Amino acid sequence: MGSTIALGAGLAVSIAGIGGGIGMGVAGGKAFEAIARQPEVGGDVRTLLFITLAFIETLTIYGLLIAFMLVSKITA
Amino acid sequence: MIFGMWDEALFKIGSINVDHLVVTEWAIIALIGIFAFAATRNMQVVPRGLQNVWEAAIVFTYDFFTQLMEEEHVAKKWAPVLTTFFLFILISNYSGLIPGAAHVAGYQPPTSNWNVTMTLALVTFFSVHIAGFSEHGAHYLGHFVSPSVAMLPLNLIEEVAHPLSLTVRLFGNIFGEEMVIAFLLFMAPFVVPSLIMGLSLLLGAIQAIVFTILSSSYIAAAAGHGH
Repeated sequence: MGSTIALGAGLAVSIAGIGGGIGMGVAGGKAFEAIARQPEVGGDVRTLLFITLAFIETLTIYGLLIAFMLVSKITA
Repeated sequence: MIFGMWDEALFKIGSINVDHLVVTEWAIIALIGIFAFAATRNMQVVPRGLQNVWEAAIVFTYDFFTQLMEEEHVAKKWAPVLTTFFLFILISNYSGLIPGAAHVAGYQPPTSNWNVTMTLALVTFFSVHIAGFSEHGAHYLGHFVSPSVAMLPLNLIEEVAHPLSLTVRLFGNIFGEEMVIAFLLFMAPFVVPSLIMGLSLLLGAIQAIVFTILSSSYIAAAAGHGH
């Protein structure tokens, strides 16, 4: 039973990490593209990028929390 | 017991349990208070020393929130709350870098417990609605049924989801970071964890900024004319 829970915890954080990683990569890449084209909007884009990354990151953190909860269920 | 969760009471005031986290928070509040008091005790027109640092921080955050919230009178009203959030969260996050944090029983950064982050998020939640009502009066209720009445359930869910996501984001990041440092310290002492602790300097600052930016954008959305 413990090994199944451990597997589930690993999967929870890794799958959440894949999704968040792809999302952050796309968002960050587009933001850099925008700043490179129009350097004068850099400040605005950076603020918006931080907010967007925070939203994406939350979903990964949900996965991490589920992993912690599952790990705390492992006895022995 | 989950690692890093010490919830036994340290001492009691009347019938209220005071645990280690609350004492750590008091220490952080006292630190901010002492700095603020020392900086403003002997104020001069031409600032120097500590007063200069403090004024620079206040002016920077005030300009930042004014630019972000787009309406100066709203920013003027809420910038003190948001700046306090920023300072408190920043110092709480950095308190995890002091040697012994999360290893000495009872001492952990307050933001790595979700009772604390939930409290901060609830302050934001009430601030948002107070800002909305004080800015628009009863018309603020119309914002819940925009663009149509059919959206009412979704809007209500959104109002609950905002503080929940603020809570979980701050708690998850700081708790996760503390866990990673603790595991690395267990496996490869001293050298490897110090690299991660350098990274967590950046992470703690980013989390403080993100919490503050999101709070200010929620307040700006409730007080602005976007709906």
